[in-house]
Amino acid sequence: MLKDGRNGVLKRSMIVSGALHVAVIVAVTMTWPHALNLPDESPPVVPVDLVTIADVTDIAPTAQPAREQPAPQEIEVAPPQPEIVPPPLQAVEVAPSEPEKLPTPKPAPPKDVAQDTGAPANPALPRRKPQPNPRQRFDVDSVLALLDKRAPKPPPPADAKPAETTVRGIGAQDAFTMDLKDALLAQMRECWNVPVGAPDPEQLIVQVRVFLAQDGSLAQPPQLEPATRAAAATNRYMRTAAEAALRAVNVCEPYKRLPPDKYESWREIVMTFDPSKMVGR
Amino acid sequence: MAIQAQNFFRPLRRHLILALALCVGVVLGFSPPAEAALQVRVDQGVTEPIPLAIPDFLGAGQAGKDIATVVRADLERSGLFRALNPASFIEKIADINTPPRFGDWRTIQAQGLVTGQATLQPDGRLRVDFRLWDIFGESQMVGLQYMTTPENWRRIAHLVSDSIYERITGEKGYFDTRIVFVAESGPKLNRRKRLAVMDQDGANPVFLTQGDYLVLTPRFNPTAQMIAYMSYIQAKPRVYLFDLETGRQEVLGNFPNMTFSPRFSPDGKSVIMALETNGNSEIYLMDLATRTTKRLTNDPAIDTAPSFSPDGRQITFESDRGGSQQVYVMNADGSNVHRISFGAGRNGTPVWSPRGDLIAFTKISPNYFGVGVMRPDGSGERLLTHGWQDEGPTWAPNGRVIMFTRTLQAGPGGVGGGSQIWSIDVTGRNERRVLSPGDASDPAWSPLIQ
Repeated sequence: MLKDGRNGVLKRSMIVSGALHVAVIVAVTMTWPHALNLPDESPPVVPVDLVTIADVTDIAPTAQPAREQPAPQEIEVAPPQPEIVPPPLQAVEVAPSEPEKLPTPKPAPPKDVAQDTGAPANPALPRRKPQPNPRQRFDVDSVLALLDKRAPKPPPPADAKPAETTVRGIGAQDAFTMDLKDALLAQMRECWNVPVGAPDPEQLIVQVRVFLAQDGSLAQPPQLEPATRAAAATNRYMRTAAEAALRAVNVCEPYKRLPPDKYESWREIVMTFDPSKMVGR
Repeated sequence: MAIQAQNFFRPLRRHLILALALCVGVVLGFSPPAEAALQVRVDQGVTEPIPLAIPDFLGAGQAGKDIATVVRADLERSGLFRALNPASFIEKIADINTPPRFGDWRTIQAQGLVTGQATLQPDGRLRVDFRLWDIFGESQMVGLQYMTTPENWRRIAHLVSDSIYERITGEKGYFDTRIVFVAESGPKLNRRKRLAVMDQDGANPVFLTQGDYLVLTPRFNPTAQMIAYMSYIQAKPRVYLFDLETGRQEVLGNFPNMTFSPRFSPDGKSVIMALETNGNSEIYLMDLATRTTKRLTNDPAIDTAPSFSPDGRQITFESDRGGSQQVYVMNADGSNVHRISFGAGRNGTPVWSPRGDLIAFTKISPNYFGVGVMRPDGSGERLLTHGWQDEGPTWAPNGRVIMFTRTLQAGPGGVGGGSQIWSIDVTGRNERRVLSPGDASDPAWSPLIQ
C-alpha cells in the first residue's frame, strides 16, 4: 500500500512536471521569434552633437521642396456616375431689390463705379495642360512670421549640424517614427487650409483617420473620428473645420514621401488637425 | 478502480489547468501589441483661398454670364476663395441636373464647382437654379432655386454667393448687403458731403441728400430700411432719421443742444446717442415709439460713440473720464461702467461685433491711426490696420469683415489726400479698397437684406 501510494505520488509529479515542461516549450516556441524583436536594451551608440530633435524636426524649410507629382497617366478620371441623382432644388422667392424704391435724386453712377463693380474680366489665357499638382504654394513661413509676435529666434551656431541618424537601439523606433511624422507634416502643411476666421478657432481640433495604400494613394476615403463626427453634426464651425481637414487629406494625395518598406507603420494614420498655432489672435 | 482513477486525476486536473494557464499567460505576455494607427498632429498649414470653378450659368442670354461674373467677384473679394480661370475647364457644363465629371475638376485643382442656370419664365420672371458640388466628396453641397424679376439679377447673384460662402465657411454670408456712407466731393474748404447708399460691392450707388448740409455718422437700423445720422441742417447739429422706403426724414427729438453719434438698438426699437450740454456730453437712449429718453451716463467727462452688444444687454462707448479717450463697457441700464482699453495711445469709436465676440475700435497714436479689435473684456487686443488716418470701423453682419475710413495724407501743396473706404478681414488679412463714387467716408454696413 505504501509502495503503491509512493508510486502514485511519483507518477503525478512526473505528469505534472512533464506538462509544465511542455507548457514552457510551447510558450518559448510561440514567442521566441517575437522576443527576438524586442528593443535592444543595451545603450545605443548615438552621435552626441548638441542639437535637439526639435531643431532638426521643426526646422522650417526655406525652400519649398517640389511636391511629388504623379505621372499624368496615373490620374484616374472618374467616369460620370449616372446613378447619382442630384437632390431637388429648394425654391426661394426673392422680392424685388430695394434700390428701385428710392425716391431721392439718382445721379448717374460714376463711370469708375460702373467699371469697378463687376469682376475683373478674365482674359482668355492659353489653355493650360492639366497637370496633377501644378499649384503654387502659399509661403507658410511668411504667414507664420507675420503672426509670430515673439522675438526672432537666434540662428543656430555656425558649427551646429544635425545628428546622424540613429540606426539601432533604444530610440531607433522613435527616430524612425519622428522621420515618418516629419515627412507627413511637411506634406500636410502645404495642403491644410486652416479655418482661422471662426470664433475661437483654436478650439476647432479635428481628428481624421486616413487609410493609405502602399503607393501612397488613399486606400479608402478618409473618415472623421467619432468625437469629431459628433461635434461636426451639431456645430457648423466644427463641420467647416472637419471639411477643411478632409480636403487637406484629399489634396495631399498621393503620399509619396513615406518609405514603402515601412508600409505597415503608415498604412493607417490618425491625423489631429490643431489650428491653435495658426491663429493670429 | 474507477474511484481510484478519479482520485488520481482530480489533483492532476488542477495542476494541468494551472500549467495551461501559465502557458497561456506566457504566450499572451510575449504577444506583440495590436497594430496601432500612426498618430500625427498637424499644427501648421496655409491660409490660402479655396479654388472654386464657377462656369458661366447656362441660359437666359447675358444674364447667366453676368450672374456668374458677380458670384466670382463676390467670393474672390472675400479673400477666402479663388475663382479658377474658365479657360482651364475640361468639362463644359451642359446640364446642371446631371452630376459633373468630378475627375475632370480634380485635375484642374478645383475643390468646389458651382453650376447654374438662368431661365426666363413664361410669366416674365427670371428663374435661377444653382448647385454647389464637393469635388472630393463627389456630392452636392447646396442646391437652390430663385425666382425674381429680371432686373433683380444682381441681387440673386449676391444670394448665390451668400449660399456658397455659408456652406463652405460655416458663417452667414454678407454679399446681399448695402453700405450707407458719406460721399465727399469738392474742394477742401468747401467740401460737399452727401448721404449715400450702395451695394457692398460698390454697385447701385444712390445719393440720399443733395449736399446742402453736412452729414456725419450714418447708421442702418436692423431691417436696413431706416438710417440714423447727424446733420447740420440750419447750422444745428442734430440726429435725424431717414426712411429709405418713403424718402422721408425727420429730426429725432427736440433737444436744445447738439445730438450726435446715433446708433440703433439690436431690436431697432430705440436709438442710443450722445447729447451735449454745456460742453459735457452724455449718452441717452430714446424709445422710437414713445420718443421718451433715458440718460445712461452721468459724468463730467465726454461720453460718446455708444454701441450695443448684439444681445442688447451691454453698451460699449468712449469716454475721457479716466484722463484720456478710452473704450468703456456698461450694462444697458447704465450700471457697471468699466474701462476695457489699456493699450498704448488713445482708443475710441468702439463698435460691438454682430457675433458678440469682439469690439472693433480706432487706435489713436501720435504718428498713426489704426483699426483694431479686442475682446469685450479688453483682452486680446490686435491692431488690424495701420495708416495715416484709419478710423471708424463697421462690421459685416457676420462679424467676419470690417470696413473703415482711410484718409490719405495730402502731399506738398495739398495735392492728393482724400478719403476712401477700405475693408479688412478680422484675421488681419485681405485688406482692400471698397469701390465708391469719388471720395467716401464713415461707412456703416447694413444687416442682410430681408
